[in-house]
Amino acid sequence: MIRRAPTPEAPRGPVAGPRVSVFSVATVAFLAVFLLLVVVLIVTDLFYTDAKSFREALGSREVLHALWLSIFTSLVSVAFIVLFAVPVGYALSRYRFPGHALVDAVVDLPIVLPPVVIGLSLLVFFSTPIGKWIETTWVEFVYSVPGIILCQFMVSASFGIRAAAAAFDSVDRRLEDLALTLGCTRGQAFWRVALPMARNGIVAGAIVAWAHAVGLFGPLMIFTGTTRMKTEVLATTVQLELSIGRMEVALAVALIMLAAASVALVLVHALAPGRRWMNR
Amino acid sequence: MIRVRGLNLRIGAFALRGLALDVARGDYFILLGPTGSGKTLFIECLCGLIRPDGGTIEIDGEDVTSLAPRLRGIGYVPQHQGLFPHLTVQENIAFPLRARRWPAALIKEGTEQFVELLGIGYLLQRWPGNLSGGERQKVALARALVTQPQVLLFDEPVSALDESSRERLCGELRRIHEELHITTVHVSHSVEEALSVGSRAGVMNDGQVVQTGPLTELLRRPADEFVARFFRTENIFQAAASPLPDGGCELAFAGHRLAASGRHGGKVTFIIRPEDIHVHGTHCAPADSPLTHHESRITNSLPAVLRRVSDRGVYRRLEFDAAVPIVVYSAGAAESFVPGQTYLLAFPPEAVHVLPS
Repeated sequence: MIRRAPTPEAPRGPVAGPRVSVFSVATVAFLAVFLLLVVVLIVTDLFYTDAKSFREALGSREVLHALWLSIFTSLVSVAFIVLFAVPVGYALSRYRFPGHALVDAVVDLPIVLPPVVIGLSLLVFFSTPIGKWIETTWVEFVYSVPGIILCQFMVSASFGIRAAAAAFDSVDRRLEDLALTLGCTRGQAFWRVALPMARNGIVAGAIVAWAHAVGLFGPLMIFTGTTRMKTEVLATTVQLELSIGRMEVALAVALIMLAAASVALVLVHALAPGRRWMNR
Repeated sequence: MIRVRGLNLRIGAFALRGLALDVARGDYFILLGPTGSGKTLFIECLCGLIRPDGGTIEIDGEDVTSLAPRLRGIGYVPQHQGLFPHLTVQENIAFPLRARRWPAALIKEGTEQFVELLGIGYLLQRWPGNLSGGERQKVALARALVTQPQVLLFDEPVSALDESSRERLCGELRRIHEELHITTVHVSHSVEEALSVGSRAGVMNDGQVVQTGPLTELLRRPADEFVARFFRTENIFQAAASPLPDGGCELAFAGHRLAASGRHGGKVTFIIRPEDIHVHGTHCAPADSPLTHHESRITNSLPAVLRRVSDRGVYRRLEFDAAVPIVVYSAGAAESFVPGQTYLLAFPPEAVHVLPS
């Protein structure tokens, strides 16, 4: 449910407009420089490519398949990431246990590791007897679509978990305890108090994780390969098109990714519920 | 009623040590104590948020020591009010009923009477972040009341408010208690707050309830020096006591002998109640003055030099020097006191309260 606009006497949140001062001018100048950098890059890409390349990219069955596969796999992996990030983030935030610092570090490991290493590690794991047993008994991961999802999950989950843990850290534990005295079980207190209050942070983490997952190509090239119409996603399409010297088509595909990402971000921002109470 | 026996708990530097307390059904009980005395730990034990290491808690005859907070039949208002910032005032008040999965119609009905009782209908669509401290406390109070609990627990509910809001809210608490008669435990460190809401009180020190009783009794007859000092009692002295054959005792104090009630011996700590001391001019000693019936019972008198007079609104605080500093509260508006002059301080044996050793 989207809330009404804040009342005029809202004590917190953004001020009506920045007052002109050296400080405000300096901060806005940095903002302008950053925006300029992004816009210049996009405009340069737009000028480098042409309508023909766009038509070629959008008319290509391979590219459309890669687009669909990118959207599908990234959404599925983000769903899994959120499913894990919420309980894991809550546990990291709320519970202190022996080895907490070590667990914290392990959760952060995929953030600092080069993604290629994770792709390689997955490949190695599935060549072990346990990995082979999983593949023969359950699901095939190597050089397959589930492998893309697993790879995206392994590389991006830490972003979601870290954001969820930070979001739960910001929720006053006493409010959850209070909910217990107001008739909630511990689970209800989580669903009715902690989760709604941490929702914005979790959504932000999911966006970062999704962006990371959708742009992944290095570990995918190692773990799932880049077989056209099978395991090729948009990020790998850009690499493939570049490798055969079709710079314009690669750029057109990159711009399609950019457009898809922009639409997704706008949708998430517009639909993310419960944001406005924070400004009250 | 609430019955607590032998409550033990240690959390870091804080501890409850064999705490015992009885609160009668329908009472408004104020639990006083300085910071760190264990008040909040105790109330969190009553709520069920902390499991004690030992001891029992009974509410209306049922042992609730190991019951979950939601099953104890309590309404709790913490010091931080604890309104959920992501819910409107209306949603906050309805929260306990929603958690218990009441039907929507009953929720509306259940909340309305308390919204009306507290006069907060105009706040319902607002967000907690937009409320004043007093408004927030009223909403928290309404939310604690909607389930019609057997017991209300307040942890310093007004301490974060400014003075006028505090007084107004204390008035509200008193009014609501008179209307609903819910057994209430109100934890506070403020004597003024206690005086404005409660009639029965207890004082906590170092994880134990050291004295309980009517508030006036605690003020007039503190059980020990800690309670006396907590109530900011003045004129606390020490002296050697010797029991008298006809009852009462005599105290050797500042070169005089004072008569006191109660049989005490040895070194004792005692209070001379400032409000019970009568001040006379030295030309008018109690023995030869035209005494009223009340004054005829006066047996103690001390000559003292007036050092300072401070006006406290409804009374004046007079600081005397009678070899030791003695304070007198005088309500007589017409009397004029001149610093530097010698007066006679007269008081009955009952004005001298010897603290139990």
